[in-house]
Amino acid sequence: MKKIYALASGIPLLLLLALAIGATDVNQVWSAIFAFNFNSESLDDQIIWQIRAPRVIAAILIGAILGIAGALSQAATNNPLADPALLGTTAGAAAGVVIGVSTNLVSLGSFSAVIAAAVGAMLATVFTFWLARSALQLIIMGISVSAILTASVGIAISLVDRSDLRSISFWSLGSLALIAPSDLLILIAVVVIVLLIAFKFSPQLDLLSLGDSAVRHIGRDPQRIRLIAFLTLSLAVAASVSTVGTIAFLALAAPHIARFIVGPRHRNLLIASAVIGSIILLLADTAARSIAPPQDLPIGILIALCAAPLLILALKKGQVQWR
Amino acid sequence: MKIVRLKVAVIAIAITLVSGCATQITAVEEISTVESISITSTVPPHATRVIALANGSAEIISAMGYRNILIGRDIASSDPALESIEIVTSGHQIIPEKILSLSPDLILIDDATGPKAALDALKAANIEIVMISQAWTLSEIDRKISEVALAIGAPASGVMLQEAIAKQSADVASIPADTTIAFLYLRGASAIYLIGGKGSGADSLISAIGAIDVGAQSLANPFNPMTSEALARLNPDVLIVMSKGLDSVGGVDGLVGLPGIAQTTAGKNRAVISVDDSLLLSFGPRTPMLITALAQSVQRVLNQ
Repeated sequence: MKKIYALASGIPLLLLLALAIGATDVNQVWSAIFAFNFNSESLDDQIIWQIRAPRVIAAILIGAILGIAGALSQAATNNPLADPALLGTTAGAAAGVVIGVSTNLVSLGSFSAVIAAAVGAMLATVFTFWLARSALQLIIMGISVSAILTASVGIAISLVDRSDLRSISFWSLGSLALIAPSDLLILIAVVVIVLLIAFKFSPQLDLLSLGDSAVRHIGRDPQRIRLIAFLTLSLAVAASVSTVGTIAFLALAAPHIARFIVGPRHRNLLIASAVIGSIILLLADTAARSIAPPQDLPIGILIALCAAPLLILALKKGQVQWR
Repeated sequence: MKIVRLKVAVIAIAITLVSGCATQITAVEEISTVESISITSTVPPHATRVIALANGSAEIISAMGYRNILIGRDIASSDPALESIEIVTSGHQIIPEKILSLSPDLILIDDATGPKAALDALKAANIEIVMISQAWTLSEIDRKISEVALAIGAPASGVMLQEAIAKQSADVASIPADTTIAFLYLRGASAIYLIGGKGSGADSLISAIGAIDVGAQSLANPFNPMTSEALARLNPDVLIVMSKGLDSVGGVDGLVGLPGIAQTTAGKNRAVISVDDSLLLSFGPRTPMLITALAQSVQRVLNQ
């Protein structure tokens, strides 16, 4: 666990670096960052504090959210391939927002959109959970529910001639470019709630790795543990999808890298997944906005480039034998 | 020292949150339609059943007084005079079945018309298809009119329309010569936005009203995905956007709250002009009046 604390202590340093790097040059960037007063008339201060700071903080928060969501998915399904996209959670969140927007109950970018996404994510995940009769079926049912929801969202977007609804299709790309400061409050609240719930239930998540019958023999209900995990990850995914769209691969990769560092116990694994998720998303987003200025590169590409080598390295070092 | 830095960060974030939440209500400067320059031709064209899919070609045919030969158009030809003409595209893709069922004798297309398989199906049905050059600058309007007029078999009417447009010297309101404008292509609150650069089409309009296109000044590509801070650095006085794009980010309130835009002079002053999607880059008989309307709008948003 010391390793993960060491990694976590690197986040503030990365945060400062991310504030200093960007598409444009800021004069005397370190003085601007460590200045004692924010000058609202200075464009350099505006760039650092009003544009870069919310995005950098959002990268840390969403990285943590997706890391925890991935660890919860893999624990609840007892399947190392699981991530929220495979359980129908991500597609459910998008469907929730489409229904909310098309019925004029919510508007894009508002807190009500997060609620709609959370309801959609929870319903889809619980529906998947209700359909499945085994851990393996859960993944297949999740993929099927995702396919149905994604197709329905596609049809709705094609049939309804509304520009705000059409913009939802851009969610599949995912981007932190337009994160608003008001989104940070939602994300902070969700990180705290999700971490507290996940941390409290982590000993029960450990039990799931023994198999359902073993869990029942010690007097626990494996389905109840799964349901709590699914509801928690639904909230996490809703916050992420409704603010920055679909960000793939991170929720799958972060827990595997974390497992290599801290082992399989969920109390440590959840924190480690959050830290690894934050670091990867922060690195990827900093690279996305500074590699080819003034362009903002797609975040998915940079996440793959940052996370995939680490994932391969972690699995290779893990010395699992081919069976 | 660490506590002081933390306090500075917290204060800065608090300022960000407060400024991000502030809103004020002002009317949107919107150009939804302008009058089209038109002529009355007495010479009948050779073509009698035309489907105009090339950008702006339906408007040109209508402006020459031949609306009666138009039997189909693309979704982007939104001039109110063409409302009764059937749309034969889905999004920006043509629907071959719909086109064939109208029995056209001529179809006008441009480089952007597709998909290729649908065009192949139309060619296989032995329908005459003529490629019209796209126009992205004011100087290219004449060429587009000539090509459309020639394709329908009324070159003399094309010349008459060109002359009518040339006579209509755009009555441009005077705006400060150092006014900087950026053209933004927006699609959705979760997407990145594109800024118009050299060759976007908007650069030609901005130059015609005597302003400076800050995108075209520094960006070589017509449309450029851009980081928020790079846009803040360009700092335009006025933003031109398309109406549907503006809707997709939640109107002017949503737009001026976006990172990068909030920090520009245009964002701070809510100096935003929304122009109908198909009108802005139509480069046809409506363009001269668009330039007049655009100059007036710029003058109004600068003085508000």
